[in-house]
Amino acid sequence: MTTLAPARAPLAQRLSALSKLVELGPGRLDKPLLSEAGTLLLRAGDRLKLSSEHTVVALAGGTGSGKSSLFNSVSGLELSPTGVRRPTTARTHACVWGLEGAAPLLDWLQIQWRHRFARASALDKGESQLHGLILLDLPDHDSIRALTDPEADRLIGVADVVVWVLDPQKYADAATHRRYIAEHAGADAVTVFALNQVDRLAPEELAELVIDLNDLLRREGVAHPTVVTTSTVTGRGIDSLKSVLAEAVSKRRAAVQRLEADLDRLVRKLDAPGDAPAAVDAARRVGLTDALCDAVGVPAVGDAMENIYAERSRSYVGWPVARLVSALRPDPLKALRLTDLREEIDGLADGVVTAQPAEVENAVQALADGLSADMRPAWRAAVQHAARTRSGQLPQALSDELEEVAPQLARVPGWWRAVQVWQYLLVAAFLLGAAWMVIALAGIPVGIAALGDTGSLPWVGIGMAVVLAIGALTSIACRNFVVLGASRERERLELEMRRRVATVAEGLVVEPVERELARHHEYNAALRALK
Amino acid sequence: MNTAADRTGDAAMENEHPESLGEQTLSMSAIKEPPAEEDVVEEEPAEEPVADDSDSSEDAGESGDAAADEAEEVEAEVDEAEIDEAEIDEAEGTPAVPEGEAEQELPDEAVEQLTGALAQLRQSVLDLKFGLDLPGAEEARQARAELLAQLEDYVIPRVRVSSAPALIVVAGSTGAGKSTLVNTLAEKNVSRTGVRRPTTGTPVLTCHPGDLPWFADGDLLGGLKRIEQVSRDAGPDSLVVAATEKLPQGVALLDTPDIDSVVEEHHEIAHRMLDAADIWIFVTTATRYADAPAWQLLRLARERGVRLAIVLSRVQPRSRETVMKHFVRMLTEYGLGDVDRFVVEESKVTDGRLPDSEMTDLRMWLAELSVDGERRSQAVRQTLNGVLDSFRTRVPALARHLEGHVAFRGELRTDVEAAYLGGLSRIEAAARDGSLLRGEVLARWQDFAGSGDLLRTIQLRGRAPRQMPERLMAFKAALRTGLESLIVSSATRAAEEVAARWRRRSELGATLGEGLDRPSEELVRRANRAVSAWQEHVMELIRTEGVAKRSVSKVVSFDPDALSLIFMVGLFGGSSDGVPQKLVNALLGAESLRAISVKSLSDLRARVSMLFDEEAMRYVRTLDAAGIPDESAATRLYQATYNLEVAR
Repeated sequence: MTTLAPARAPLAQRLSALSKLVELGPGRLDKPLLSEAGTLLLRAGDRLKLSSEHTVVALAGGTGSGKSSLFNSVSGLELSPTGVRRPTTARTHACVWGLEGAAPLLDWLQIQWRHRFARASALDKGESQLHGLILLDLPDHDSIRALTDPEADRLIGVADVVVWVLDPQKYADAATHRRYIAEHAGADAVTVFALNQVDRLAPEELAELVIDLNDLLRREGVAHPTVVTTSTVTGRGIDSLKSVLAEAVSKRRAAVQRLEADLDRLVRKLDAPGDAPAAVDAARRVGLTDALCDAVGVPAVGDAMENIYAERSRSYVGWPVARLVSALRPDPLKALRLTDLREEIDGLADGVVTAQPAEVENAVQALADGLSADMRPAWRAAVQHAARTRSGQLPQALSDELEEVAPQLARVPGWWRAVQVWQYLLVAAFLLGAAWMVIALAGIPVGIAALGDTGSLPWVGIGMAVVLAIGALTSIACRNFVVLGASRERERLELEMRRRVATVAEGLVVEPVERELARHHEYNAALRALK
Repeated sequence: MNTAADRTGDAAMENEHPESLGEQTLSMSAIKEPPAEEDVVEEEPAEEPVADDSDSSEDAGESGDAAADEAEEVEAEVDEAEIDEAEIDEAEGTPAVPEGEAEQELPDEAVEQLTGALAQLRQSVLDLKFGLDLPGAEEARQARAELLAQLEDYVIPRVRVSSAPALIVVAGSTGAGKSTLVNTLAEKNVSRTGVRRPTTGTPVLTCHPGDLPWFADGDLLGGLKRIEQVSRDAGPDSLVVAATEKLPQGVALLDTPDIDSVVEEHHEIAHRMLDAADIWIFVTTATRYADAPAWQLLRLARERGVRLAIVLSRVQPRSRETVMKHFVRMLTEYGLGDVDRFVVEESKVTDGRLPDSEMTDLRMWLAELSVDGERRSQAVRQTLNGVLDSFRTRVPALARHLEGHVAFRGELRTDVEAAYLGGLSRIEAAARDGSLLRGEVLARWQDFAGSGDLLRTIQLRGRAPRQMPERLMAFKAALRTGLESLIVSSATRAAEEVAARWRRRSELGATLGEGLDRPSEELVRRANRAVSAWQEHVMELIRTEGVAKRSVSKVVSFDPDALSLIFMVGLFGGSSDGVPQKLVNALLGAESLRAISVKSLSDLRARVSMLFDEEAMRYVRTLDAAGIPDESAATRLYQATYNLEVAR
């Protein structure tokens, strides 16, 4: 395949892109624009279904420009009444060269039966090149009658080729230029300008006028205007007009060209929806998870767990003697007569994990903002909305999900109790030693010889010291173990919580956002295809 | 003023006297052709001035003016003159004209009153501004500009110098032959003609040399720059003034740009000229007479009650009857059946002029106006009254539109207020229902309580309070962050809500709200500052007002910083009998606790609302930047309209 320039996608592809746009557009596209796109889509579908053998040419123009006279001249028959009263024509007349297959098209154009005329081309020698032409004589669009009658407006909108019939008096009217010609600029291939009534001008005047008209049209964006000068009085230019029409008719391309021009016009009005990533990338996911973890307070939960374990473990693995000593100190709560508060305070640390709604909201907002920064407002709002559709449930969902893994702060591991027993055993041993000493020193007769032996007392003293030391060492070692265990537990806990937060966020935030992003991506692709 | 008028009148008399006789007779016969018009033309000058004269003499009498007698005398004279003129068309009718014309003028006092009222109206219109692009704003802006231009170019000067020549504007579609018509009447190529459409871009005023001083540097059309010749680079505010002997004195013709070509500036200029004219000549053609823009202009003429004449030009001789019949029928249906009409047939234009034969009727009509000062000033007054009448609807329409703007702004402001009020109440609700105590705050609180630090804040008296900055600081920071997030999220939602509400209101709301759907960039910093300041404030309250109960202070001491945090937890905790409440209650006493609670909550509310006010200011600034005057502008307009009516 060797194609020099990438040819524009065929009409069918562009139309399917347009239908995609119409499908994706609601809520993201201006309503008038969306309905315009929808209308164009319908019209294109209708027109392409109907006869491609026929080309609809509409004679349009202001009242008194000579549309009907031109219509009669081209058709060679007095089909449409002409007159001096303004406005003359109120209903569209149609003349068909080659009637077979044209009826549905004429129905679609809503041309009344009594205003349809046929030229059987077989009878008209030399007119065969016009076979397939449907010539419409439109009512005017600028008289006071036209204010209440949209007929001309409608047919100018649907005809394959529009011939603007201008005359020396009205060729620069705002009613024609602003509303139609400048608006449809770009449809050069299917627009013809017939400067009628040139018999009223002197040759040099005509030349000046044609130059002026061309300038005017170029200023309005008609790059290559096709201007034909005609006169129905002298017959001048009628053949040129016919040959221009014959060319359009014989190519059988006008309907497609018109639709393409209309598509181009629509595309110019469609703004790109802006740039956005097609999916939520890893960095953003991590960012969202981090922010949500902060909202839950994962590090704080870890801190709390470590500290509370350390505090609680003291009453199990701590050296009971030391605790006894501190318990002897006066209690401020007692002084305040709030002794029962202590239990409540202990009950406070129950390890419930929750998410702060405001922070969750801000986290979701930050994700949506980051993703939609370069989007058009309507799309940005859509992404925001998608992010927030289920984020209302997010705090609760997070709390529920994390409930299972929340640290059980009231939990007492078995080895704590074992150590506790061991500590009490040590205390008992110490007390035993102390009793031995007392007995030996006081010489209380107990009946056991060994107890009275003062010689072993130093050993007993050493044993007691050792017991004390073992108790203190046990206490220190165990608390270290507790801290170590707690920090390992914390690591595991934090990882687990993160994982769960990420899962919840994926389902409730990332997925809806990605759906919207995909929609945006698709829209962008369709728009590119349309262009 | 009287003398000036007299002088003009005299001059007119001297100049026109020899010709006027013949022309007047001619014109009468010309007018008699269409019998429908005769009644109007004949009757009006005979009746109306009499009524007006008696009005003016009454005015004079009421004000105790010594001139009352004189006025009556003159009135009697005029009455005679009127009758003379109406009954016998003789030379005697002519001298009465200047006197009659002078008499038409209002007494000085009334003129002053009217001028004052008009100046007031002008000022109130000048003060108007339609900054918002509401539907119809463009029209309102245009209406305001038109009103202003008409006041300055026409109404105010016309009231002051009612004796100035009548300004006849020639207006119509492009290619209708306005310039050709003016050139032919002036017998001089004052305005450019041609096949290019549109041809005329600069208005051209042409009049008798004797009338030139009125227009060369008078107040009429004062807003326009006088230039000698039509040139390409003449701005839209220029006016070519040319004198020609061929025009009768007392009437000036004004050739205008078109009303319907692609060059939209032309339409504006044309309408400005129409607004400043005493009499309209509307030119249309056989192909154009059904055009929508033409009928819009005719509708305007009918609404304003201006003196109108219609020229149907470029009529093919063979279709003259049909076209004319149809056109007249259309006019009659439109209520304009009795307007002066002239037909110009399509004929060879040589050197920018039509053959003189086509102009006879029109020329006579002009001469008639020129000579018959009574009819002229009556036409002038009719148009002026029509314009003043039109103010009755046009000015209130502007005022109503302004009220619409003001109301719209009010609505947008309500939206802002409602959104931020909602934000504030969200914060208050969150502060009450305990949702602040979630996430990190809760974890830190558990940490604080569970690790025993909570109890350690209370010490028996005599012991040095223990320092535990680390956990306390973390807890304090968590509380601050929580509160900050709450404020930020509320402000974000409020900002979004405002933008959404504005968008829902109208497209304009959407444009105004663009870029305002996010909170301001300083919000986070400001929220941080506000929350920190509040925390300091609460600490200060605890320290100063939270004097421990005497029974307590004898036994325990506490760390006020830590206590203030406990207090905050109690404040946001939702329930009223939690640990923190009990603790603080025990330490400070219920009464003191309640006082501090109320104070700190109201302080928080005050700080947040101040913050929100600053946020809301962005919207108010946007609205103010759009520039909408307050309601009083509308009231002033109504007042000015009323004063004008009184002065009339």
